[in-house]
Amino acid sequence: MNGSQLIILLGQLLLGMAAGFVMHRADFCMTGIFRDLFLFGRRTMLYALLLLMTCLVLLYTLAQGLGILLYPFPLFGAPSLANLLGGVLFGIGMVLAGGCVVGSLYRMGGGSTLSATAVIGLIVGSLLYVELDGWWLPIGQSLSLGSSAITLPQLLQLPPWLISLVLLTVTVPLLLLWWRRGLLQVPFGPEGHLQPWMAALLLALIAFLSTLLAGIPLGVTTSYAKLAGYLLLPLAPEHVATLGYFQRQGLDFSHPLLGIRLTGGGGPRLDGIALIQLPLMAGLVAGGALSALRLGELQWYFKAPRRQYLSAFCGGLVMGLASRLAPACNIWHLTGGLPIMALQSILFVAGLLPGTWLGVQLLTRLVVRSE
Amino acid sequence: MVMEEMVFDLRGRICPSTLLVAMKEMNDHRQQLQQGTVRLRLLLENRDATVTIPEMARNMGYQVEISKQGQHYELVIGEPA
Repeated sequence: MNGSQLIILLGQLLLGMAAGFVMHRADFCMTGIFRDLFLFGRRTMLYALLLLMTCLVLLYTLAQGLGILLYPFPLFGAPSLANLLGGVLFGIGMVLAGGCVVGSLYRMGGGSTLSATAVIGLIVGSLLYVELDGWWLPIGQSLSLGSSAITLPQLLQLPPWLISLVLLTVTVPLLLLWWRRGLLQVPFGPEGHLQPWMAALLLALIAFLSTLLAGIPLGVTTSYAKLAGYLLLPLAPEHVATLGYFQRQGLDFSHPLLGIRLTGGGGPRLDGIALIQLPLMAGLVAGGALSALRLGELQWYFKAPRRQYLSAFCGGLVMGLASRLAPACNIWHLTGGLPIMALQSILFVAGLLPGTWLGVQLLTRLVVRSE
Repeated sequence: MVMEEMVFDLRGRICPSTLLVAMKEMNDHRQQLQQGTVRLRLLLENRDATVTIPEMARNMGYQVEISKQGQHYELVIGEPA
């Protein structure tokens, strides 16, 4: 391992820990943000998410203008209806799981056995996709929208900074208005609680630093497939060698800051994806655990009704499957693609909203019953 | 008047079942809560619920007390504010 790789590994671990810590303190749950909008009409955390994304629009535009980040980010491709479908499935899955691919990690670190169950579901769901990859690939290709543009500015043939300026012109006055009305904070909170606005600013900084360091936005889902590969490898090495998804190398770019070439994919190999994502995942779990430990709240509970464990597992499984179909997850699209107006991310979020609504209908009818 | 206390141990439940159960119980016992004959004691470990449940309860006009008891939180929802 060379010096640049060591910097990425340690940096991602520390940034993952910081993110896990902040998310645990503020309970900055991306699933809850969308779910509670449909379930209770609660918007405070949605305002905070918009603050986070607004900061990232500004930071990414500056960094890409300076040439220290690639535009668009590596791994983003042309839009497809698969992004929309993936968003719908992901929305259903995250509500049933009680947290997304990142939320389940920091909550698992904080002692949630349901989140640990969702993580197992995510690994199984990712493996399920890997097995279905050969069947899905031609269908996914047929769903392409035929555009070679990756972002909205490319589609409109406008400079990215102009679209960013339009976005900021809309969001900044709105955020100022919500700030004046006190809508970016909450009146009550548990011990060590971070206000939503503070958490949003800290998470925007963490997401930006991680993107600078890794060269790609925050994301962990390819590594769920990687973990599935590692688990399957000792059991069926010949079968793993035949699986097409594990052989592909989706990541291949030259890091604009560190000057190294990073390549990698979902297969069980120590490659660029492993270097970027596995320390981030470990950091998220450790950050959630550290926060809970310092508050004296680290405790494993096993008392949830069985149907809730089943829901967490099935939700994780659907998310694992969806994150490979989409491709990627809510964190990748909300903190990476949407701030640069990636078309895949716009479609993913357009699917995530009805998916979340569907998930809420399933959760309230089938999972959460009167005690 | 005798005050009845109903205790709900909601620790370790899936999000957002804690809030849904709290809302259901507040609705089911609306009359007794308003008369001050019942109060609800909720045992929680979900940090988010210590923000959302008091918010909802106060919007519905009830008094809420939050305290940390060791590794978990206790919310007491009682008489009208």
